[in-house]
Amino acid sequence: MEFAANITAAALFQQILVGLSRTTILFIVSSGLSLVLGVLRIPNIAHGSLYMIGAFMTWSIATVVGGSPAAFWLALAFAPLAVALVSFVVERGIFCRLYDREHLMLLLFTFSLTLVFNDLVKLIWGSDYRSLNAPDFLQGSFSIFGLPFPRYNLFLLLTGPLVALGLWLLTNRTKIGKIARAAAVDREMVSAVGINVSWVFAWVFVIGCYLAGLGGALVAPTQNITQGMDHAIIIEAFLIVIIGGLGNIWGALLGALIFGLTDAIGILVWPQFAIVFPYTAVVIVLVFRPKGLLKSVW
Amino acid sequence: MKKRALWTIVGLVSLGLVLAGGSAVSAKTIKVGIVDCYSGPPSTYTNDVRDAFQLAVDQFNAQGGVLGNTIEFVTRDSKFKVDIGLSAAKELLLRENVDILMGTINSSLALAISDLSLKEKVPFIATFSKSAKITGAKGNRYVFSMTENTALAGKAAAHGLAKRPYTTYWIAGDDYEYGHAIADGVWENLKQLKPDVKLLGESWWKVGEPDFTPYITSILAAKPDAVIVATGGRDCVPFLKAAKATGFNDKVPFYMHTATELSTLKPLGLDAPEGVIGTSNYFFYYPQTPANEAFVKEFEAAYNRKPAVGALYGFMTAHFIKQAYEKAGSTDTEKFIDALEGMVIDTPVGKVEMRAYDHQAMLPMYMGVTKKMPGYDFLVATDIVTISGAEAMPSVESIRKARGE
Repeated sequence: MEFAANITAAALFQQILVGLSRTTILFIVSSGLSLVLGVLRIPNIAHGSLYMIGAFMTWSIATVVGGSPAAFWLALAFAPLAVALVSFVVERGIFCRLYDREHLMLLLFTFSLTLVFNDLVKLIWGSDYRSLNAPDFLQGSFSIFGLPFPRYNLFLLLTGPLVALGLWLLTNRTKIGKIARAAAVDREMVSAVGINVSWVFAWVFVIGCYLAGLGGALVAPTQNITQGMDHAIIIEAFLIVIIGGLGNIWGALLGALIFGLTDAIGILVWPQFAIVFPYTAVVIVLVFRPKGLLKSVW
Repeated sequence: MKKRALWTIVGLVSLGLVLAGGSAVSAKTIKVGIVDCYSGPPSTYTNDVRDAFQLAVDQFNAQGGVLGNTIEFVTRDSKFKVDIGLSAAKELLLRENVDILMGTINSSLALAISDLSLKEKVPFIATFSKSAKITGAKGNRYVFSMTENTALAGKAAAHGLAKRPYTTYWIAGDDYEYGHAIADGVWENLKQLKPDVKLLGESWWKVGEPDFTPYITSILAAKPDAVIVATGGRDCVPFLKAAKATGFNDKVPFYMHTATELSTLKPLGLDAPEGVIGTSNYFFYYPQTPANEAFVKEFEAAYNRKPAVGALYGFMTAHFIKQAYEKAGSTDTEKFIDALEGMVIDTPVGKVEMRAYDHQAMLPMYMGVTKKMPGYDFLVATDIVTISGAEAMPSVESIRKARGE
């Protein structure tokens, strides 16, 4: 076999673009996880389940509204909101009573939530897999240096920076963002100045889970919407959050870039063993920076 | 007085014997225990097996059963887990006293139940597991297979691909048993049939890979004549989606074993990619024979959907069971097995022989290309080439070798 006969500048460039569109999804999901981890100090294992619910909701809304092109956009707008609503109920109903408990308890609790959500998905949507199509103008591909690049991936590439910008505005330019950052550093001090920390936590949790739902909604047209999609994403999201620095949103961006790009380039360079590339990158980062690349808030 | 009591006892006992004997004859049923995965994505395939089996069994019972006995069956959900499935099989043997075990889409579980059936001397009929080991290296007297397997599909695909003008290939697939088995099956046979084929490279992804786009774009950069895609089960649908999004099917023809099956194409609707080459044992629209048309009509009337490939397996299994008992003339297990060996029956896909040596049903394989057709809201297979069971089956010699005989 001619080793890696297919590596040309054009192929590499295109592979990087494909990798960046995957990065977008990884970033959206893991930034939500990181936000909750940083402010609430909860490693929310159920984050992956909310991603899965987001994808199923997208399918349901798009199917109920009917096949028009607007259906997909409506689903994309409302499915993450529905996920946010679910997380709001869970936070106000159960989580907010548990913040005093130790971390292990919270971890176990979010784990039990994954089981509950999994069964709920099975009850509501059944065990078949669902498939959803992007609107017509996002289907198909266009050519970059003679190689195809799917239009939907371009759409993802444009969405990523928008979400990053939104998160930056939220954490740096809004009151709740500033309070959340302060609460992450010193919870007692924030409540001492008369702010209801409990509600701040609720908002942050809901925003974090909204991002999980958004990630699920965005991948819905590209893959099977099925049970088990939660496991795959939560492992990757945790790895990304860990190499980026726990609770640091920009660390999540950096981690997602490393993960997405090593994956895509690995597939081009050494396709038989591509699976190991992103994980090797994780190991290398952790050997040299055990606390992650950027400053951890923990 | 004493004599009278004695006569009463004798009378009662003999009456009891007659009653017991009589009930044993009239209530005799042949009981089949099905262990399969009825939860999660595999149920898309397994429900068809069970429903078609039910359809056939209901027909037999309505016509007076088999040798005067009714056939009855019970199902157990394996949840795709070997330990759960195996204990369900044991429970079926011990508590339900089943005469025949059947089922499993999970190859590892099929091999485990096969071992159990050998130990307990109960026939086991594998209906959807694709490992060639079941009737190959690990075959035994009590295990039968009603479905194609990786060796059969590989050989059939190689026969079909060798007739096409491609010489440079790329292999891509699921990095686990099924993916490698089917890729090796196709490639080894293809090299023999067409020695000038060349392998440009291979890509292997994990099962449940969320995004196939980077794999496809890197394969396209290598510009092979054709690609062998060795992916199965739940990864088929997202792979075909990514193929459509990148225009993979327009640029490079690719072969994917189950690409033309109804269970794969139906969820995608009209958005499935055209021009994908696939192999399958059955289509509800092919072969266009009265036998198949009748079967489709009956299945649709009973379940209000079109039968997929699993339905053929379930229906065929029921018919093999019935005819083997009738040929044996008794419900004795050993006689049943002897009767089943080498038996030929009529099925919706024509005559199918149960090969005596390895207990593998000699099913024909249909290689087709996906295409939109008027009248269907999903893609169907066209340009169908039939590769007969005799052509596709691995030789008895190679099975003997695999078993180390």
